[in-house]
Order: sequence, then C-alpha cells, then structure tokens
Amino acid sequence: MLLKLVGSIFVIFAGSYLGFSIAKRYIKRPNNLRQVLSCIVSLKSYMNYTVMPLSDSLMNCAMGANREVTNFFITTANLLKNNYLLLPQEAIQKSLILHRNKLSLTKEDCEVLLLFGCHLGEMNREEQQKYLTMIQKRLEILEGEATALRDKNSKMYRYLGVCGSLMIVLLLF
Amino acid sequence: MVSILEKIQRDIYPYLPLTITHLLQQVDKAVMRSIIEIRLRANRSLQLVLPNCNYAVQENGKLNSDFQQGYICSEADVMHTIQAMSKNSFYALEQELRMGYITLEGGHRVGIAGQAILNDGNLKAIKNISSMNIRISREMKNCAVPIMPYLIDHDTRIFSTLIIAPPRCGKTTLLRDIVRSLGSKKINFRGVQVGVVDERSEITACKNGIPTLDIGDCVDVLDGCPKSTGILMLIRSMAPDVIITDELGRKEDVVALSEALHAGVSVITSVHGDSIESIKYRPYVRLLIEEKYFDRYLVLTDQPQIGTVKEIISVKDEAVLFLR
Repeated sequence: MLLKLVGSIFVIFAGSYLGFSIAKRYIKRPNNLRQVLSCIVSLKSYMNYTVMPLSDSLMNCAMGANREVTNFFITTANLLKNNYLLLPQEAIQKSLILHRNKLSLTKEDCEVLLLFGCHLGEMNREEQQKYLTMIQKRLEILEGEATALRDKNSKMYRYLGVCGSLMIVLLLF
Repeated sequence: MVSILEKIQRDIYPYLPLTITHLLQQVDKAVMRSIIEIRLRANRSLQLVLPNCNYAVQENGKLNSDFQQGYICSEADVMHTIQAMSKNSFYALEQELRMGYITLEGGHRVGIAGQAILNDGNLKAIKNISSMNIRISREMKNCAVPIMPYLIDHDTRIFSTLIIAPPRCGKTTLLRDIVRSLGSKKINFRGVQVGVVDERSEITACKNGIPTLDIGDCVDVLDGCPKSTGILMLIRSMAPDVIITDELGRKEDVVALSEALHAGVSVITSVHGDSIESIKYRPYVRLLIEEKYFDRYLVLTDQPQIGTVKEIISVKDEAVLFLR
C-alpha cells in the first residue's frame, strides 16, 4: 500500500512537471520573441546612428534583454569578432545550435532568425533598415501567433499534466 | 616597435582567405619586409608590389615575374576578403566604399575597384568588387627629423607646407612623422597643438576614434571626417596651432584650407604630383599655388628610395632651400 501511495505521488509530480514544463515553453516563446524584436529595433539604431561594426552592434543591442536572448546575441557577436571570414548567417546558425534549447523557439522562429542573418551587413544603411524592418514584421506576426498559442495552450497543458497524472493514478488504483 | 612582418600578420592576414594567407606565409621574409602592396584581382594572379618591380606569387610561395604563373585569385577569394575587411558591416563603410577604399586597423588602406552603381549620375556604390589593392602602412619613426628645421620658423610658428609627390613616395608616412615630431618635444622644439583631419584613417590609424600609432602628446585627431568639414571644425573647437591633413584635391578642401590659413592656423598637407609645375594644372590646387598660400613646398621622390626629399622651396623668398 505504501509503495502504491509513493508511486502515485511520484506519477502526479512527474505528470504535473511535464505539463508545467510544456506550458512554460508556450509562455517563454512570445517573451523570447519580444526580446529578440527589441534587440533588432536596438540593432537598427546601432547600425544607423552609431554606425558600429556588426559584431559590436550585436553585442550592444542585446544589453537589457533576458539572459537567453542576450547569450544568443553575444555568442553570435563573439563568433563574428573572432573570425572575420565567418558570415553572419553562419554565426547565427552556430549560436542557435548552442542556445536553441534554452530559447524556446520553434523551427519557424529559427528560420526567420537565419533569414535575419542572411543579408546582415551586406547592404548600405538605408537598405539594411528596410531589410530589418521586414524581419521585424515577420517576427511580430510570429509573436502574435505565439501569444495566441500561449493563451490557448499554457493553461491546458498545466491542467492536462495534473489531471492526466491523477487519472493514471485512479486507473492504477 | 612592431616589425612590418608582425604588422602584416596582425593587421592583414586575418582578413585574407586561408589559401592566400598560406601562400604569403611561404614567401621569403626579406621580400615580405619590403612589400608595398598586395594586389588581389578576380581571375588574375595574386601580386606583390615591391619598390622596383611587381611579382606574382606562385602556388608554392615563390615569386615569379611572369604573372601567368602565379596563384589565380578566384572571385570568391576577393569577395570573402572584402566581406572580412568590412567585418560584415558594409553599412558602416558606405562613405569609404563610395570613395573606393577602406582602411584597416593599423592604417593600411585597401583600394577597391568593381562595377559602379549610379544614381542620377552620381556614384551610389560599388558592387561586384573585382580588384583590391592592400597598401601596407609603415611607421618610419624620425624620418621627418631632417626636414623639421625647414618647417619651423624660429621656434615660434610652423610654416604652412605643401608636400608634393606621386603615389607611393611616402607622403603619408612623412606626414605621420611630422605629426609625431610637432606633437612632442623630441626635436628641440617647444611643441605645438596639432590638429589632424584624418579623412582616410591612414595618418593616425584610429580604432574607435583613438589613434593606434605613436603620434605624440599634443595631437587631436578628427578621424574619418571630410577635410572640408574637419578643418573648420578643428579651428572652432580645438584651437590648433597647426592642422595636418592628407591628399588635397577637391574644391571644398581648397576652400576650407584657405579659411584655415586666413584664420592664422598653419596647414601641412599633401597633394599628388611630381613637381610644382605639374600641380599648377590641377584645377583647384592651382589657386593655392597662384595665391601663394603656402610658405614651403616639399617635393618627394621614390628615387633612390621611397621618401627621398627632392626639393624644399621657400615660397616667399622664391628660394630653393634644399635640392637633391
């Protein structure tokens, strides 16, 4: 009996943890996308006004963002700073591989980030601004979708985790 | 002092594709010490320009005067080099690229050529860059010391001086040492406040606005600023005794220069030409010569070696002070 009780508690905790962690990813995604968006807005200013090299602009634009997003931008900046022959897209790709698990981003979000790196630094200031504005708009759309998904799914997964695990316990008894 | 080989290794190799870096590392060190330029052209041979001759670099690192025998730079080699030199930041070098050059840390100027994009008849940008000329910047400390007595008037003021020389005769190197000499008290001179308008970041090799070369203690540098704007800004804001700038040529440069000279500030600058007679044919510089704005003309030559002073002329006295 004691073993059953301990097992049930363990199942409830495990199920709830699973539900909560899936819900957390839904909650974190719009937050991360918002942080990336604010970094891109800041990057536009660093490129247009202070006209800093790309690696310095990426380093500075991440200031104030949350740790995961800051780490992603700083890793990209350091990769570019340490190897001049590396392309921005390659640096972003490497940085995404390193930080993807912590960033709670979907495949679609990562594709937009890779697109963001595709023509980064290759154009003049005016064209670069237009390009970044386009990326910004795509990220805003994704952020809207992520917010809707969060509202829809985060509670559901929490309940599902707790209720599902309770149901398993009941079935076991 | 950092040797020229160390400078090349530190300032230039990180931007070159690995194949080219590997080839250059195999070239004889004595040759590398004397190179003036490294030239990359898409689908043509990699070339080194030495004081009296040009060579192609072969695949084994040996030099060959037959350009057909050299390592052929691919379009990707040139593209990757310019991308690396711009640090993936073409937007930050818009102005420089439009003028056909970028400057690397250490003051090495990289000239570029390719396909021009025009907008209403004006050059908007250069695309499809196909040629690059990496000019190695040299720091020759004390090379200006022998000419300094000709530039200083009784330890009180500096003579406004025009340095005349064809390309690759050491104008910028000499100007750099004049800046250093005037900005320090090493030449038995009281020292003056020096303002440098370094439009191409070659004289002082600034990084983030701070000079990376030894340029003396009393020097203010306006980095990357057009001469016409920079000269007037320095006069208003920094009160220099002498303004030093490089490669005069445009109408607005001449106007700003005459403003400075009328404001009582001495100016030391340079112009492309092989003699005073030849620069009289240049449309705007001619005015400065005719109106006798300068106190001294200093003509440089590359014979027998780069940076040789050929002639120093006192304008007011119409006298030749030095003739080689």
